[in-house]
Amino acid sequence: MAVDEILRVEALSKNFGEAIVLDNVSFGVARNSVVGIVGENGAGKTTLFNLISGIVPPDEGYIEYRGKEIRPSNYREANLLGISRVFQEQALIPNIAVYENILLSHEDHFVRLGQVLDRRKMIAVAQRIVDAMALDIDVRLQTSHYDFSIRQSIEIARACLVPREVLGIEAPVVLLDEPTSALEKSEEEALFRLIRRIRQHGSVLFVSHRLSEVLSVCDLIHVLKDGRLVATVDPAITNERTLHGHMVGRERDADYYHEHEQGEVNTHPVMFAVKNFSLANAYEAVTLDIHQGEVFGIGGLLDSGKSHLGKGMSGLVPPDTGTVQVDGGKPTRPDFRSLISQGLAYVPAERLVEGIILPFSVAVNISVASGQDLFSTWWGYWRVAVEERVARHYIQEIGIKASGPQVSCGTLSGGNQQKVVLAKWLCRSPRIIILDNPTRGIDAGAKEEVYKLIRQLTASGASIVLITDELLELIGLSHRIAVMRGGRVTGIVDAPLDKKPTERELVGLMLGTQ
Amino acid sequence: MRRRRGALLQTTFVGMLPILVVLILFVVFSVASDAFLSLRNLTAVASQASTLLLACTGATFVILMGSIDLSVGAIVLLVGAVVVTLINSFGLGISALAVGTALGTVLGFANGAIFSLGVIPSFVVTLGSLSVFTGIALELLQGRALQYNSVPFDELAIGQMVPHFPNIALFAITIWAIMVFVCFRTRFGRYMYVIGGGEAVARTSGVPVGRYKIYAFMLSGAMAGIGGTLAVARVGAAGPTLGTDLLLNTLAAIVVGGTSLSGGVGGVHRSLLGVLIITLLDDGLNLLGVNQYSQMMIKGAVVIGAVLISQDRSKLSTSK
Repeated sequence: MAVDEILRVEALSKNFGEAIVLDNVSFGVARNSVVGIVGENGAGKTTLFNLISGIVPPDEGYIEYRGKEIRPSNYREANLLGISRVFQEQALIPNIAVYENILLSHEDHFVRLGQVLDRRKMIAVAQRIVDAMALDIDVRLQTSHYDFSIRQSIEIARACLVPREVLGIEAPVVLLDEPTSALEKSEEEALFRLIRRIRQHGSVLFVSHRLSEVLSVCDLIHVLKDGRLVATVDPAITNERTLHGHMVGRERDADYYHEHEQGEVNTHPVMFAVKNFSLANAYEAVTLDIHQGEVFGIGGLLDSGKSHLGKGMSGLVPPDTGTVQVDGGKPTRPDFRSLISQGLAYVPAERLVEGIILPFSVAVNISVASGQDLFSTWWGYWRVAVEERVARHYIQEIGIKASGPQVSCGTLSGGNQQKVVLAKWLCRSPRIIILDNPTRGIDAGAKEEVYKLIRQLTASGASIVLITDELLELIGLSHRIAVMRGGRVTGIVDAPLDKKPTERELVGLMLGTQ
Repeated sequence: MRRRRGALLQTTFVGMLPILVVLILFVVFSVASDAFLSLRNLTAVASQASTLLLACTGATFVILMGSIDLSVGAIVLLVGAVVVTLINSFGLGISALAVGTALGTVLGFANGAIFSLGVIPSFVVTLGSLSVFTGIALELLQGRALQYNSVPFDELAIGQMVPHFPNIALFAITIWAIMVFVCFRTRFGRYMYVIGGGEAVARTSGVPVGRYKIYAFMLSGAMAGIGGTLAVARVGAAGPTLGTDLLLNTLAAIVVGGTSLSGGVGGVHRSLLGVLIITLLDDGLNLLGVNQYSQMMIKGAVVIGAVLISQDRSKLSTSK
């Protein structure tokens, strides 16, 4: 073993039943380094993190930390040793103050007079932690006061700095699992600055789907594929293309967004018209026309109101005022169920909360939006055979990696879960599809398939509203892009095939500096 | 058939456990007591189990949906009291069953509407209505047992269209079978699972969640209404203690059967096993001469033990 290694995993293997999730993986993490772990969904990245952080025990192999073998039997034990982690799903309790979340489970360091918590000291330490990350947060406020991305930043700050600030651990190892998928650009940069700062004290293991990030922030990158360590590369002498090649076993398609399939839609009739939409504290006076076959992008910072607008357009959370018009019909107040019956589909951003019921089967999750028509008769008999057939069809058609319609969705990777959510609406042959961050937290391969699907749908005449935080996706896929700032549409940018706007132009509009 | 329902059904060893418990209880009591296996006793068990089974059949849907209905016992009592009063005042016969069912449905609707439209936890709503319904019933009964005289109505419960199998049990098992079908093969049943498994997902998929919540409580009320009416027909009177044991017994039977209080897991088919376990325990312990207080202790321990064994705790992150 090299002397300067802080962490070493040796011959780690893990099976879940028949499935081999991790197969004889060994590597070391040098002191004061940032190590990237990349791989497609299902490659074993999360399982690797689960083993290191004590959440599941390895079947074979062992883990060494500071030269000694460790066997944490749960996350707390690993945590007290100095291994902390930011989970893919948010683990903050919404209804307590930020500082309580940051110092959760470490309250024993703040006890005064035997029993009383020294809240002033807790607040001071927590504030120091968020300040160190350059976050504009008042730790005394309730956690739910902050939105998704800021809550994520809080989690990252907690994982990175609690070991040092509270536990006094000199060389902590921080595991970051997809920390940036929901972060704004400015927060991302703050995170990278922070990662570089932690490197002076400890080490970071970093999982991300954004390869450019991994390349810019890591000292060394390990590539996992089907549970094996297939490559270890030096970011200084590699590029995104080669890395992607290692991950999927092939090089990335030059035309990632299928741009050449982007058709001309200006002459097409208007399929979906949104007029004078306003909702207090969310968006104001929004009017949009979406053509048949168009991908209409909506971009903006996280507080721009674009997700609220998506929920409003679908009728799920109707606006205070405003009407929608489907295919030249009568303008009406948006009503979710009535719009669904007219061919609207809505894919929410928070997949695990609003998109999919994990313990239930693929078939049940696909049929759930069509219980009132496709999958039941007039007297309410559930058409089990039809349900099974439709699920089978979509497993084939869009390549859901599940062995059958009865497989529980909890066993699928994020990308396949998202395909199930899409299939739930595709089986209704929708004409208007509202997608809120359809590729959040899914791997490059699945993203590409979603993009292909979007092109196929528009080619067959569907209109798509694409709300996304990913700028390149927004630019690559959209015919036109509405940019929102502070609840208002501040500009609609044309994005024809031969004249796509640049990231810089859009960011300028989003920030209002242009 | 079984395989196709797959995802919503547990077919693991733990899922089969209630069947094993029923068999064990059966064998143990057969050996320990001579009277247990007698035709007379088994007929009595069947008719004792019936009201509980009816009440559980409806309440299981509510629990599948992730809510709780504490008021079934009170509905049984109130419906019983009203039915006896009506029989005595208007000479109602068999049609009392329709009246009882309708009244139960209305009471369930009240629960459901307050719960769904008022957005109040079902625990609170039905705890309140439990008290209200009981109060009205006791007012009606003046705190005494009310008897009636109607042979056709009696026959509804204690007649034996099938020899040695009282009609009340025939009703209960038929309705249970229909409800198993409703649970697995209808939109209503499916929506119960979906709402219990992920209400937010159901909403973003266009499931009319609010409406179906009301339906579930209406069904629970209707089943309790039928149970209450037949219970009165069985004992020939409505007394102030009618249905009081149902509060604990329905929840115990449903949970022991394997339907999770957190919603989305289990099913009406399982509640039959839970009902059998609770009823066999009651009956067998009585025959063995175990006193009432010890019975309470044993029953409570069985409920907790059953859940301890059957719950897949690795899937639980919190318990409330």
